[in-house]
Amino acid sequence: MAQPRPRVKLPRSIEADVPFTVKTRITHPMHTGERHDSDGVLVPRRIINRFVVSYNGEVAITVDLEPAVSADPYVQFEMAVPASGVLEFQWFDDDGSVYSLSKQVEVD
Amino acid sequence: MAPTRRDVLLLSASAVAAALVPAGAAQASNGVWQAIDEFTGSALRLEGGVLLDAPEIFDNGGAVPIRVVAEGARRIALFNDGNPNPGVAVFNFGRLVPPEATIRIRLAQSQTVYAVAEMADGTYREASQKIAVTVGGCG
Repeated sequence: MAQPRPRVKLPRSIEADVPFTVKTRITHPMHTGERHDSDGVLVPRRIINRFVVSYNGEVAITVDLEPAVSADPYVQFEMAVPASGVLEFQWFDDDGSVYSLSKQVEVD
Repeated sequence: MAPTRRDVLLLSASAVAAALVPAGAAQASNGVWQAIDEFTGSALRLEGGVLLDAPEIFDNGGAVPIRVVAEGARRIALFNDGNPNPGVAVFNFGRLVPPEATIRIRLAQSQTVYAVAEMADGTYREASQKIAVTVGGCG
């Protein structure tokens, strides 16, 4: 499997305490553990089971994911921040890997 | 003693009620009710207060967009009654994120999706939506 590639989209300009949309996605097959490959062999479960976003170290949102979440899990939410800071995104894989991304937020 | 007319009516009324309630439940063989009870601690769930924004019909069961909003919620969980497993996702909202989220999910067949919100006062709210998919997403 190709290395999962996380992506996050933020608006160009962010104002203090004004909600903005955060769009997140990571490339990942999200193997449900229910499917068989072309040889009829069960593909073991391997999913992103947890997604955590923090802002300056404070947890903003956590999402627990089950195999019913689509491949390349997409999560979108709103948030508002009082001041500039760093948004940290972490995706936790069944295999123990953690994929991270951080984004600097400059409040206008 | 022979049953009175009233007994018969009461019996048939409860039979109808019994038939109505499990009609949805009978279809759900994936344990969705137990899963929801685990999330709520078997607390009563009230209708209203949760917006579950999902298509009534969608061509690709592999990526069905679902949006949930529940003003005043601290957690929102999504469940399904037609996939092998009933859980979908649980959102925990911190101080900076209003209780609203969008996610794309897999539906193996046409079925009902449930959104259960845990409100800040510890009560639970629920919304559900039947979604028809033309191509299942777990094949």
